[in-house]
Amino acid sequence: MTKVYKVSIFYFLLFTLALLATAIALFSLKIGFSKADVLHYYLGDAEHFIVAKTALGILKIILPHIFAFGLFMMVLLHFLVFTEYRNSKQLRYTIYTAYITVAAELFSPFFILAGIEFFAYVKIAAFFLMSFIQVYLSYLLFHSLMQKV
Amino acid sequence: MRFTLIKDLKQDRAMRPIMSGLLIFILLYLLADFFVKYASIGLFSETLTHTLLGNADEFLDPITQASFLEHLHTETFFLMMILLTLSAVFMRLWHTTPFALILLNITMLSALLSLLALALSYYSSIGFINLYVVSYFTWHLGAIFMSISSLYRLYFD
Repeated sequence: MTKVYKVSIFYFLLFTLALLATAIALFSLKIGFSKADVLHYYLGDAEHFIVAKTALGILKIILPHIFAFGLFMMVLLHFLVFTEYRNSKQLRYTIYTAYITVAAELFSPFFILAGIEFFAYVKIAAFFLMSFIQVYLSYLLFHSLMQKV
Repeated sequence: MRFTLIKDLKQDRAMRPIMSGLLIFILLYLLADFFVKYASIGLFSETLTHTLLGNADEFLDPITQASFLEHLHTETFFLMMILLTLSAVFMRLWHTTPFALILLNITMLSALLSLLALALSYYSSIGFINLYVVSYFTWHLGAIFMSISSLYRLYFD
């Protein structure tokens, strides 16, 4: 990794953590972390005046996220190509896991709307795994930045 | 990020206008952001306070927590992507000169501080709003200066 970019990447990692913190706060506030919370958010809940989401409504929410996640994951993952993890199995598995997890997080609401309640668990698990992967990748990058200073 | 691999950006006939285009669009984004913020949440402490806390005299409701978090979340994403791209170009042209490192650190730290100060203004004390205003303008001016100095380096230095 070129020395001149280390400073930029270090700050990028700090922003990544800030982004993750706001994402967790938003998920917690708008959806919630239990199966019932997720089902209420997507299927509606008359008791709490929550209107059921439509497929189009969900698509409008995930549309910017599809591009943003693709870009964000690419940026975060591609930095690791310039580290000692470049040819490791660990990185290869993490790349596949990251993109599959993001896809599961984004598209699971459609299955919830289709009546498959199990996908509420998929949504929650994917969100936590995605958050973990971001922290893990940030750690690997940070570790790599510090090693070569 | 292919530009990071090209030896001399200033001498590259294709990459120089491409980099110039990127820098000009970043400049436009930074300038447009002033107008958008002015018209939406406010640029200065008084209007920002009204947005966050509401204003009974003008029948303004405070911003909801969901709207606030959505704003903070999208702001963080755009900020990190813009500053990463800009800093990559800037560092490629200025290398690790003391001027470049100081400017980069001031811009990045103030950008991070602006996000933190805005969150603290909403969740902790509105007193942090002045810190937000100062850090917001600092990172914007830093980023504008980084863009202009990169353009200068591409053509005149």
